[in-house]
Amino acid sequence: MSAILTVDGLKKTYSQGFIPKRREVLKGISFSVSEGEIFGFLGPNGAGKTTTIKCVLGLIFPDAGRIELCGRPHLDPRSKAEVGFLPENPYFYDYLTAREFLDFYGQLFGLAARVRRERIAGLLKLVDMERAADISLRKYSRGMLQRVGLAQALINEPSLVVLDEPLGGLDPLGRKEIRDIILRLRAEGKTVFLSSHILQDIEMICDRVAILVEGKILSQGRLADLVSEKILFTEIVLSGVGERDLAALGEPLSAQAGRTLLKVYDEARIPAVLELVRDRKGSVHSLLPRTQTLEDLFVGMVRPQ
Amino acid sequence: MKKTLALVLVLCGLAASFSGLELRMRTMPRRKVPGAGILYIPSGKYLKYATFGFSTLIADVVYLWAIQYYGNEEIADRYDSLLHIFGIISELDPRYVDAYEVGALIAAGDMQDLGLALKIFDLGFAKNPSQWIFPFEAGHYAALAKDFPTARAYFKKAMDIPGAPAIAKRLYADTSFKAMDLRTSWETWLEVYNTAADEQIKKIASNHLYQVKAAADIGALKAAAAKFKAASGRFPSGPDEILRAGLLPSIPKDYDGADYLYDPATGEFKTAVIPWKR
Amino acid sequence: MTARMVKVIAANTFKEAVRDRVLYLLLFFAAAAILLSRVLALLTVGDRMKIVKDVGLSAISIFGALMAILIGTGLVYKEIEKRTIFTLISKPIHRFEFLLGKYLGLILTLAVMLTSMGLIFLGLVLVETGVFEGRILLALVYVFFELLLVTAVAILFSCFSTPILSSLFSLGFYLIGHFSWSLEALAKKVRPGPGRTLLGVLSAVLPDLENFNIRTEVVHALPLPAAHLAYAAAYGILYAAFVLTLAVLIFRRRDFV
Repeated sequence: MSAILTVDGLKKTYSQGFIPKRREVLKGISFSVSEGEIFGFLGPNGAGKTTTIKCVLGLIFPDAGRIELCGRPHLDPRSKAEVGFLPENPYFYDYLTAREFLDFYGQLFGLAARVRRERIAGLLKLVDMERAADISLRKYSRGMLQRVGLAQALINEPSLVVLDEPLGGLDPLGRKEIRDIILRLRAEGKTVFLSSHILQDIEMICDRVAILVEGKILSQGRLADLVSEKILFTEIVLSGVGERDLAALGEPLSAQAGRTLLKVYDEARIPAVLELVRDRKGSVHSLLPRTQTLEDLFVGMVRPQ
Repeated sequence: MKKTLALVLVLCGLAASFSGLELRMRTMPRRKVPGAGILYIPSGKYLKYATFGFSTLIADVVYLWAIQYYGNEEIADRYDSLLHIFGIISELDPRYVDAYEVGALIAAGDMQDLGLALKIFDLGFAKNPSQWIFPFEAGHYAALAKDFPTARAYFKKAMDIPGAPAIAKRLYADTSFKAMDLRTSWETWLEVYNTAADEQIKKIASNHLYQVKAAADIGALKAAAAKFKAASGRFPSGPDEILRAGLLPSIPKDYDGADYLYDPATGEFKTAVIPWKR
Repeated sequence: MTARMVKVIAANTFKEAVRDRVLYLLLFFAAAAILLSRVLALLTVGDRMKIVKDVGLSAISIFGALMAILIGTGLVYKEIEKRTIFTLISKPIHRFEFLLGKYLGLILTLAVMLTSMGLIFLGLVLVETGVFEGRILLALVYVFFELLLVTAVAILFSCFSTPILSSLFSLGFYLIGHFSWSLEALAKKVRPGPGRTLLGVLSAVLPDLENFNIRTEVVHALPLPAAHLAYAAAYGILYAAFVLTLAVLIFRRRDFV
């Protein structure tokens, strides 16, 4: 799989204010996104995710580094023609309707009127905005704007779709719908590059990730490689056994209604726990092995900073 | 970066070309005078309300414009609106002394129109009754145009204003003389003599008093000689003949007590000395 | 490609500008001023129509400039402030195409407004005199040339300054442009030397908006040399090009944070 986006040694420092105060936002980051994958770009707020994206898209000019998009320098219009972008907290021309708005972008790409009409119809259906298509954007909710924004990013049938915090501000149903659309895009052969700080969503859909903290990439690679499948501990919810007796086997945390949540770190002890419960005529309500989540990895990396 | 350099070059090129055009356009004939729309403002009174309290500023602008406008020889009919424009300036800023002076200067000098110049001065004086400069200068213009009665009226106005220079009074006396009002001239010069601050003024006053007396005396003497001729068919041989004929009660002497010179052939009298060379 | 991009942005800008209420407010005042000139004419001594024409044309010029400034100074600034520019610049569009499109969109809007004001004015003149004066159209054309320049300046400032400051600067440009004759006169009165040269250079480079003012010739039926007209048109276009190039230069490497 060839790389559709390569970032090498990207650096950016801002000097803001009347008496310039320098702030180094990107301290030399490098990563690459392969064709046809969903790439997650993680980091806490202020890490530099949006800055990186804006550098890639030509909205910000980096101080150093090289960016290659679709095999050409990133500012080449031919490369840009293959990219679709949804910014964070999207704002659009609020006096236009969704249809007019999408038509405007379609015209920018030089699409013929018939092609525009067909694509717009398809996209509106995809993002489930058909009913509201002729209401002016001024009246849209945040979630509706997000969907229209996603439609706009897809108007030119791009090979790379760049999404900056696409799931922010959506209710759980909305998030699911967007996640499904992203998965669909991959199925169609498109590459998706998304940034987020909601780790559960990333975990669910991304193939590879990079973790950005304070302008540096601390870790990148396949999700499966980064997050070990080792079982960290097992959570057992049981009743009928007192906490004192359980203390030797694991870490009891009391739950409600007479049930105890027991964290067992040593796998070997689990049979002993089950036997104890059976002896005391208690019940086991659930048994859940917990592997390392992305959140664990993430928190582990961010906190020491 | 190459592109930036190219853009800067383009900028310089464009700047050079439009600057060149501008300079070229200035040399073209019939270049209109900007702001000539000012001519069509009906009255300064209305303009004042429109200027929201910036009337003195607008007065300045109009004045500056007027200087350029009236100095522009290409506009043949520019004087038609002089009173109108300066009227506007006076409405906007009644205390603008320069404007009145310059307006009058243009009227008297370029237009040779004394009446208009005096009108402008009157306008200024009406709005600024404490400014002695207006009747003072008006008097000068009138005197220059040899309209002495008008001149002396202005000088009288000027000298009565507190703060007016002493010369105003002397000019009043002088123009009274030139306007043939010898009595007023004599009285005024006497006042000046008596209140003179220094010797030089005293000398000037006394010269003038000499002159006025001489004019009065010679006038009387000449009239007597003419009467003599009318009665006897010839001019008297000397002033004593006039005296013996009873045409005058006495033969006046000049201010210094000397005799006047007489020419029996023409019946003319004149002073023995030139008044200001005494 | 460039033509298409510029056309699309221009059309969009036109749609947006035409919705701006400020435009119609100014149009209303311009119409009021034009009709008021009829009333003012009653007060004047002499040719009434001259004052109607002069006040009317001046009103159109001033209100046209106000429209250009008030809307132009918000054009680019709003896009940056509201961040609608992100989705736009990330497309395969050059930044200069964006600026040019904004400019032409506003120019188109101003042309429409100018035509409206012009029609009202011509209507009044027609009603009053029964004569259709073609020269008034010419005066309006040159008002348009002036607006070409004023709009460019407004957009230039819009690239890096808030609408209020931009409006003040643009207004300053407009005033300087109409008083450049005083700088020229001043330069002539100063003694020859570096000071005089500097003043002379300044007066040549600073905008001379009076070049577009052919109102007096039109109103007083004075001759209009074709050379002056040609030069003035060229001046307007060149100066506007200069200002826009400056805007492109500033806008090129600007970071949209």
